[in-house]
Amino acid sequence: MTISLGEPMDALQTLLNDAPERIDRAMTIAELDALENDLVGRTSPIASARRMLGQIKDGAERGATGKRINDIATQIQAMIDARRSDVETAEESERLVNDAVDVTLPGRRPRRGTHHLIQSTIDEIVDIFVGLGYTVATGPEAETEFYNFTALNIPRTHPSRAESDTLYLDYGDEEDEILLRTHTSPMQARYMEQHDPPTYVVVPGRVFRADAIDATHSPVFSQLEGLAVDEGITLGDLKGTLASFAKQFFGSDTQVKFIPHYFPFTEPSAEMHAYTDGRWIELLGCGMVNPAVFEHVGYDPERYTGFAFGMGMERMAMVRHGIADLRTLLDADRRVLEQYR
Amino acid sequence: MKLTRSWIDDFVSVPTDDPIELLEAFESLGHEIEAWHPIKAAFRGVVVGKVLEVAPHPDADKVRVTQVDVGSETLEIICGAWNFEAGAVVPVAVPGAVLGEDFEITRREIRGVVSNGMICSEIELGLGDEADGIMVLNDDYPASADAIGDDFAEFMGLPDVFYEVNVTPNRPDCLSVYGLCRDLAALYQIPIRDQNISVDASGEPNDVEVSIEIPELCGRFAGRRVRGITVGPSPHWIRWRLTQAGVRPISNVVDASNYAMIEFGYPTHAFDVDRLGNTISVRLASEGESIVTLDDQERTLTAADLVVTDGSQPVAIGGVMGGASTEVHDGTTDVFIEAAYWDPATILVSSKRLDLRSEASKRFERGADPSFCPKGADRVAQLLTDIAGGIPAPGPVDVNPADVQPWTIAYPLSETERILGVALDAETTTDLLNRMSFTVSGTDPLTVTVPTRRPDVQRPVDLVEEIARLHGFADIPDTVPSGPGGGLPYEEQRLRRIREVMVGAGYYQMMTFSFIGDADLDKLALPEGHVARSGIAVVNPLNETEGVMRTTLLPGMLKAAASALGRGVAESRLFEIGKVFLSSGAKLPDQPDRLGFILAGSVAPTWDAPSSEFTVYDATGTWEVLSTALSIPDASVRQASAPVFHPGRCAEVLIGDVVVGTVGEVHPSVARSFGLDGRVVAGEIDLAELLIDRGPWQYHPPSIFPPAIFDMAFVVDSVVPGASVVGAASVSDLIEKSEIFDVFEGESIGSGKKSIAIRFTLRAMDRTLTDQEVAPIRKQIAEAVAASVGGELRGEL
Repeated sequence: MTISLGEPMDALQTLLNDAPERIDRAMTIAELDALENDLVGRTSPIASARRMLGQIKDGAERGATGKRINDIATQIQAMIDARRSDVETAEESERLVNDAVDVTLPGRRPRRGTHHLIQSTIDEIVDIFVGLGYTVATGPEAETEFYNFTALNIPRTHPSRAESDTLYLDYGDEEDEILLRTHTSPMQARYMEQHDPPTYVVVPGRVFRADAIDATHSPVFSQLEGLAVDEGITLGDLKGTLASFAKQFFGSDTQVKFIPHYFPFTEPSAEMHAYTDGRWIELLGCGMVNPAVFEHVGYDPERYTGFAFGMGMERMAMVRHGIADLRTLLDADRRVLEQYR
Repeated sequence: MKLTRSWIDDFVSVPTDDPIELLEAFESLGHEIEAWHPIKAAFRGVVVGKVLEVAPHPDADKVRVTQVDVGSETLEIICGAWNFEAGAVVPVAVPGAVLGEDFEITRREIRGVVSNGMICSEIELGLGDEADGIMVLNDDYPASADAIGDDFAEFMGLPDVFYEVNVTPNRPDCLSVYGLCRDLAALYQIPIRDQNISVDASGEPNDVEVSIEIPELCGRFAGRRVRGITVGPSPHWIRWRLTQAGVRPISNVVDASNYAMIEFGYPTHAFDVDRLGNTISVRLASEGESIVTLDDQERTLTAADLVVTDGSQPVAIGGVMGGASTEVHDGTTDVFIEAAYWDPATILVSSKRLDLRSEASKRFERGADPSFCPKGADRVAQLLTDIAGGIPAPGPVDVNPADVQPWTIAYPLSETERILGVALDAETTTDLLNRMSFTVSGTDPLTVTVPTRRPDVQRPVDLVEEIARLHGFADIPDTVPSGPGGGLPYEEQRLRRIREVMVGAGYYQMMTFSFIGDADLDKLALPEGHVARSGIAVVNPLNETEGVMRTTLLPGMLKAAASALGRGVAESRLFEIGKVFLSSGAKLPDQPDRLGFILAGSVAPTWDAPSSEFTVYDATGTWEVLSTALSIPDASVRQASAPVFHPGRCAEVLIGDVVVGTVGEVHPSVARSFGLDGRVVAGEIDLAELLIDRGPWQYHPPSIFPPAIFDMAFVVDSVVPGASVVGAASVSDLIEKSEIFDVFEGESIGSGKKSIAIRFTLRAMDRTLTDQEVAPIRKQIAEAVAASVGGELRGEL
């Protein structure tokens, strides 16, 4: 006997017809889950109809009916899925609305300190000279009188050796007293003693003078020394190098001028001035290495020439960053240090 | 060196009136201008007038009525001064003139007579201190007779310009107006007027005799006798110029000497011959010999000081200061003017030791021009004739054992290009050197003769300097040589990395002075004999609190943190990298680089986290970050007890077996002594081991297999370090990571005990670990911890 699924199929058709409205009424995923169970779940009319399919003996009819059931199931499932997606989106939106915060509250900052301005000034200037093929050396801050003065052609009677200018240490022998270096220049002699030319080196470091603290003086400050010795080094090289440095450090439109000066360890000597903020300011001292210094370190002054320069890091930083008072740079106040970026 | 534009105009006609242009001219010569300002007349509308008549006031006896010719008219002016009569040439403020800022002169009636202006005194015109009487120009300014009616400011050379020139120590020849004018003449290629030193030697012959016992220290002693002097004030033009040059006018004799020194650069000294006698002898002082100097101080001399004597007793410290016994006084009529050449080094040492550095000693110590001695004395004699009625004796005295002559230098032309980078031919070079008063002969090498006033020019390179100055630095083309490279040495790279790590860890770099005081070491409560106690003293410290070189960075950091907190900064996170100074057996002290850091105050609360205090773990954590970033493979931390630090919260940090530093919480009493409350965390690490080149770090590929992760907790005695438990648990190469995640003490554990929970991550490179592999390792861990530190496993294995 052939049985048809007329009645159950009618019920499925009704299910399909009613499905859109029922599905649209589901406002939450939970409701939708329950509805899905009712419509296409194991106890749904669709499942019942599928179970009864086997009773249809006629293969063609069974196939057609089966396909019909699947069609309906697929359509309903598609409607549920679509609704599910909508409900999920709506639910997520609502969740996110509830999750909103005041983004203007302070952020969680990973901690970061700062390099001291003098340090970053040194680093930057060192990098400029490294770019020009120089290397870097450092030397002792407690230095001998010989390296600080004598090797630099500074006569025994020179006023800078006096205790009013130089800080001496209670250490070592009387013959060659130990002092706090008054400039980074002693490393000129030390470096040349240990290295043969060509010599291209910068020496950053701390130096000391018997000066009371005021807006422009400090007993402790930092210098950077430069030395270039080779065959054929000229005053033109000195000028070109330092002009290039000034443009790199202060800006490409920086004008500089060199005016003659005097230092015992260079000849000719000069001061480099730069034009900034509408005026010329003195930046550094420089000159061609005095042959007497070469003689002290065993370089042949007939064969080699060289230039040297020394600049105050505090001055460089103050000029560039608009700091009027040197004492600012001695301040460990966080409000000052935070500005050193 | 202070001078005025008008004084420069005495000798050279500089082709500019712009003060800035002249300033730049000086600078291009190497004479930096320390300061400059216009000198403006402190008056307007004052003219040169001539007093025609002086009559009594009909109704007042303190003042007189004068008729004054002011060029365009004759004015009736009432004057209260009595230091003039008819014929006097005087400055007259005519009606409408303004004195000072805003004192306008008007016609005004004085007891029935109208005064049409005012005859002025120095002080009223801002031209000096003289307030007793009006300025009478006839004697001081003879040219005034031909200037009746002229503007008085213009007559006085106002406005003028003041310059203070910073003459470098190598140029003693420029410590004078004339010397600087020589340089200007060379620069502008303009003539310089003669010095015009001449003496009307119409007096009686001189009978003062000079001898030198030490010709090597006093190479020349010249002089001129001048009689008939009347000591009194100098004429206004001398006083005015000296005042502008920063020298206080004293009397005509002293002023003449000072004026001549500023004008031509040679220091002289005048002896009162009536007090001196007729013998002058120069010798070294004997040890302990004494002299009362011009400033009425008794000075005790040494055998290194030079003295001028009257044959036996010192009458002056040679080149430094005259003596009181032969000082010129109000009644002096007869003087001997000394112009001597002294050994520069001896003068420097002497004047410094005696603390008597003066304009004269400055010139001698840098090197005066021995050739100028007789002229130096004669210029003073000439001035004394002009301003003090002096009558010079014939024949200068000139004892000249050194007889310094110009010297020559052979100058190869190639030196110019070798040093300056610009080639100059023989003609150009000769021209430049001629302009600087060097005489030149020959072609290449040039034979250059150097005048005796230029002791700084001895070698070819000294001539290069002269050539560079006159040729102009600006005209030397710029070139930029490149070095052979070399870059940042490894140590510098490491130092940068260390600083970067500290900054990245939230620390702010600071720089403190390298000095500390004994009080700082006391505050640290360092025990006797501690290495940081024996700081090296500064011989001449700036003050007591900075008398010792720092042996540790800690005081500087503690003080900085305290100062910051005192100013309301809630938390300080500071670090410093710098040298400390320790005695060594070597010539120089040991000067190792140290890293110091400090955390003080408390971590400020935020809206989502409460305030918290810093603890020792911030210090050890800093070390962990630092040693990791520096890829130091065997860095560790161990419990320690050290001065300065909290006895129970202090750690030594190690690389391998080497202790490289101490970190932890500062002992509360030490912190308090620096004014810091609460927990203060600090550390000091020696950088030498951190800067060692350990080669590049090597890559370890991570396993692609999943890990086995499990936790184990052990009960150990409270004193057992956590690190020992973790160390004991390192039983297998499969342990990728083991980290303590919980520490617990409480009654449930038992007193004197603590529970340490460790999370283990195990992983193999080549497979997923199975339970069968992991289980024996858990067992091994439990056994090893039990055996090594007595740890008892909590819960089931």
